[in-house]
Amino acid sequence: MGARKKRESMKIVPPGKKKCVWMEAGVVSYKLCDHNYDCSTCVYDHGMQDKVARHKEKLITQPIAAAKDKLTETWVEKMMQLPANRRKCRYMITGEVGRKICPSAYECGTCSFDQMMQERMQAEILPVHARSQESGFELAEDFYYHEGHTWARPEYGGRVRVGLDDFAQKLIGKLGRIELPNVGQVLKQGEVGFQIRRNGEVAQVLSPIDGIVAHVNDKLKDQPDLANESCYETGWLFAVEPTRLRKNLKGLYYREEARNFINEEREKLFNLANDDLQVAADGGSSVEDIFKEIEGENWARFVKTFLRT
Amino acid sequence: MSRCITICPIGSVEKGILEHISECISFRCNLTCRFFTGMDNPKYAYNEIRCQYDSKLILRHLLRECPHDTLKFIGVTSVDLYVPILQFVFGLAQIEGKCSIVSLRRLYPQFYNQLPDPDLLLKRVEKTVLHELGHTFGIIHCRDRRCVMYSSTRIEDTDFKQPAFCPTCSELFKWHLDKSLQQDP
Repeated sequence: MGARKKRESMKIVPPGKKKCVWMEAGVVSYKLCDHNYDCSTCVYDHGMQDKVARHKEKLITQPIAAAKDKLTETWVEKMMQLPANRRKCRYMITGEVGRKICPSAYECGTCSFDQMMQERMQAEILPVHARSQESGFELAEDFYYHEGHTWARPEYGGRVRVGLDDFAQKLIGKLGRIELPNVGQVLKQGEVGFQIRRNGEVAQVLSPIDGIVAHVNDKLKDQPDLANESCYETGWLFAVEPTRLRKNLKGLYYREEARNFINEEREKLFNLANDDLQVAADGGSSVEDIFKEIEGENWARFVKTFLRT
Repeated sequence: MSRCITICPIGSVEKGILEHISECISFRCNLTCRFFTGMDNPKYAYNEIRCQYDSKLILRHLLRECPHDTLKFIGVTSVDLYVPILQFVFGLAQIEGKCSIVSLRRLYPQFYNQLPDPDLLLKRVEKTVLHELGHTFGIIHCRDRRCVMYSSTRIEDTDFKQPAFCPTCSELFKWHLDKSLQQDP
């Protein structure tokens, strides 16, 4: 009994990580979720479901040999064995609601609470937990940054929210109009995803991720300057259902890499804006509207250099 | 080329600060200093919209006035400086050039509504002057937050860094200094 307790105490879940539903249900002893609870596209979930299905077939044809195999139930079956008041809803497991018991036998596809949560979460941005200043530009922690100055934030349930980073919104300055992609449009990482207008100038912006657009921030139609005021929260642009999430994330800057990237971009911006005189400055953060300051300079050159389009 | 750095007050600058700059350069870089006849307040560089002075215009003026027999030429001013894309600058320098300029305006604790602190002010002046001098010798910004060549975007960055080059920047400084002294007889 003592050894079992010790084993249980060893199952530490690191801060910021969440248990996989297979661990939560007690089918496997230790597995963390690495797919934002998007079980429908999770390779691990598919593999486990197959394994259980194979075992059940084997149980019919070779009952003695199959009985040795421990993997006899799916996580849903295991959860359903619990008393009704201990069947945690998946939004409780992921921490998005404080307490919610599943009333629908984990059939999320037909659950009205799941539909309500999906709607609400697509419309409401999650708060940014920590921010940092790097070379005078704000970075939201735990966001992934694309070299074309957009960010991608995977959220529980599998969606990825997309927006402009602080560098881009300061570079372009007061946004005139944002032409967002349509819902259902297929986007590719590193290809043009949307465009921005300012004083008759157009800047195309690259998508940070592959996916299908699931939701767009309609508030930006009337208030494009939301992307200036709160580029990591209420000024988000659109949400996608990703198609190659893990592969795409490897191509984005995260934490220390993002900080180094912004430092390099700041140096590059300074050099480009002062290329008439080879100088270096020890100085403050960027002005709020760089476009206004460099008016008369070659706009296309700045867009090509920093938005990579 | 002589091992002499010329310090030029632009507008009204406290004598004690100029002497402190001279002592720091002599102590940290083993170079001698002399003072240039002061320049007037740089009205030509004043931007009425920003209520600040364009540091690039002042730097160009320093370039025109730079004595031929000096290794480097440092302008020191009390006015608030900027470059177009930044809200302000503590200093601006030519990379591998002769001229640089330092603003004292945002180094005073009083600027941040704090009590006057002459020691803190002199430490900030020393770090900013060394930083700009480093640029004129060709050293670019360093990623070590403690190195004097770290780029300060806030005064807290200046307070955190040390008034000395990190080992890498120190080697670079010596190498560039030797090169400068050898190149120009």
